[in-house]
Amino acid sequence: MKKLLLALFVSLAFILSFTPGLLAEEGVTKTEIHIGQWGPQTGPAAAWGNVARGTGAYFKWINDNGGINGRKIVYHMFDDGYNPAKTKAGVKELQEGTGMFAWACGVGTTPGLAVRDYLAERKIPWVGAATGSMNFVNPPTKNMFAVYPLYKGEAKALIRYAIKIMGKKRIAITYLNDEYGKNGLRGALEELKANGMEAVAEVPMEAKDTDLAPHVMKLRKSKADLVLMWTTVSQSVRVIGTAKAMKFAPQFMSSSTTSDFTFMTAISKGLWEGVITGTLAELPGSGHPLLVKYKEEVFDKYAAKEERWGVFYYAGIAFTEPMIEALKNCGKRLTRKRFIKEMEKLKGFKGIGPVVTYKKFDKNDMYSRQGTSQTFLVQCMAGGKTKQLTDWMDIK
Amino acid sequence: MIDFIQMIVSGVAVGSTYALMGLAMVIIYKTSEVPNFAQGEMALITSYFAMMLLTQMNMSVYLAFFLSFVFAVVLGCFLEFAILRRAKEPNVLGMIVITIGIEMIILGFVSWKFGADQKTMPFPIGPYDSFIIGDIFISKLAVLTLVTALLFMIILYLFFKYSKLGLAMKATQQNSVAAQIIGIRTNRTLMMTWGISSLVGASAGLLISPTIMHPFMMWDPMLKGFAAAVMGGMTSLPGAVIAAYMLGIIENLFGGYVSIEFKTVVAFVIIVLVLCIKPSGLFSKHYIKKV
Repeated sequence: MKKLLLALFVSLAFILSFTPGLLAEEGVTKTEIHIGQWGPQTGPAAAWGNVARGTGAYFKWINDNGGINGRKIVYHMFDDGYNPAKTKAGVKELQEGTGMFAWACGVGTTPGLAVRDYLAERKIPWVGAATGSMNFVNPPTKNMFAVYPLYKGEAKALIRYAIKIMGKKRIAITYLNDEYGKNGLRGALEELKANGMEAVAEVPMEAKDTDLAPHVMKLRKSKADLVLMWTTVSQSVRVIGTAKAMKFAPQFMSSSTTSDFTFMTAISKGLWEGVITGTLAELPGSGHPLLVKYKEEVFDKYAAKEERWGVFYYAGIAFTEPMIEALKNCGKRLTRKRFIKEMEKLKGFKGIGPVVTYKKFDKNDMYSRQGTSQTFLVQCMAGGKTKQLTDWMDIK
Repeated sequence: MIDFIQMIVSGVAVGSTYALMGLAMVIIYKTSEVPNFAQGEMALITSYFAMMLLTQMNMSVYLAFFLSFVFAVVLGCFLEFAILRRAKEPNVLGMIVITIGIEMIILGFVSWKFGADQKTMPFPIGPYDSFIIGDIFISKLAVLTLVTALLFMIILYLFFKYSKLGLAMKATQQNSVAAQIIGIRTNRTLMMTWGISSLVGASAGLLISPTIMHPFMMWDPMLKGFAAAVMGGMTSLPGAVIAAYMLGIIENLFGGYVSIEFKTVVAFVIIVLVLCIKPSGLFSKHYIKKV
């Protein structure tokens, strides 16, 4: 009997020594939490690559300040070049090779859609996708927590401001012919309809379109007094430049993806002045105490020399603040189940982004996973300076 | 009517960039029968080189552009000498694969060295400064590109028709062994072809850069330039230029009157149609190689 027990014990110890996953949660050890993120460091969306770098600096700062409940974050970031095939391959490689506890941010609607089902099927937590597309929360999935205000709500906020405050009567929309652009289009059309109006023109463009003269001609022909753009950074600049060349000068509005006014002013050679956008976090010059702290303790200390303190850089912090809060609240016994429970407990959480609230998972309520519906509007002034036009607004 | 004229003018404006890229591709094809898929990236690296001279070394635009053109010629010659000439028992397919490899290497290098952020190049003419005649506009940069493309077309046409080197290039393409027998140094001729082609392509890159610069900026012009070259017959310089303008105008008219969503695709539909109806291209003389 003794021999049998000994043999069983040795066999069990042998098996367990090869299967650490049976004892601990994937991506968590006694001293480490593995978190992954993809971000375009090259390719057409490289201007938003600083989101992932901002998160990296934030995690370094957390680690140097004692980590989370005795564990350090091991951050795995890879460049997907905004190519969904690369996003999927990279996520699978890291998840199945190293094993991530959770995923943070991840720039882009299309790259995110490429891995949404993969992460959902495996119940791997994903917090703060860097996109305001509704596709990630409608229908909601248990593992996915959104922080970015929805494009649809943002477009509504812009159109509402255009009609109610600016008194615009002829509104045209130009949008990228993908899920990002169509989310903005839907919000704008809904708000126009609510005000008894219709768009005077809806002009789609493809991501590869560089000659935008025909598009702008359609906008000009519509005699719009306001044009809402839901396109890429460089296309938005081209639309305004081409319109200027055609002596077509409506008020321009654009999505929060173009709200880094210093950058937009530089690449548009000053043409961005006057453009109104939504935004997703406190303003660089707002003096918000937490933002000032991040600037001094995170950016100044950990950012690369050529890095710039802009809205997308610290969006990488804003999108991951709720995740860090929940990780802290989990205590020492960190499991995915517990983490999701702690995420669901976040009510009225305020970091440098909008106020974030989650609820117990309800497949019929997208706001159980869409943490915010807040945005505020800003206008680009001379030299890339920002003028705040509204306070935080709650628009669903 | 004004819209129609504006679409034609805008088509001509955008066609000029395609024309320059098409010309660059035709030059190499005329000599080696190899479509050079690294053409766009050769222009890309030259543009970033110019940007470096302008912003980091504070050179004047004229000096920076002159040095960039020198750089482009040296780059073209170097690639031919150091990489393509080393290919063992080369066939056309192998050479095409090599040019794709060069393209990837240059693209990766530019992203690594200069970063992937969008930029704009300082230039005396603003990207959206325009001439306005009535209600019709054309950007000054587009006019400059148009003049450059037409100038290059005329110079290259005369060069291939009357200069010794130009004739040597044609001879090298038609029969490289016979060309060697009559004393043409075919290797050197090929090297010069790459240099000249790189120079023409670089001018397209430099004229796009004041509007927007990023590592993928040459993909669309290169593809459309290639489309124009195929449409024009791959060996005809005026053919490539005329086809490029046709492409620009058709794209604009299609976007304006048929479907703006499929405006970009129309170029490739035209290629398929042309290749089905007239495989040798619209402006090329069809000839059969005799054994």
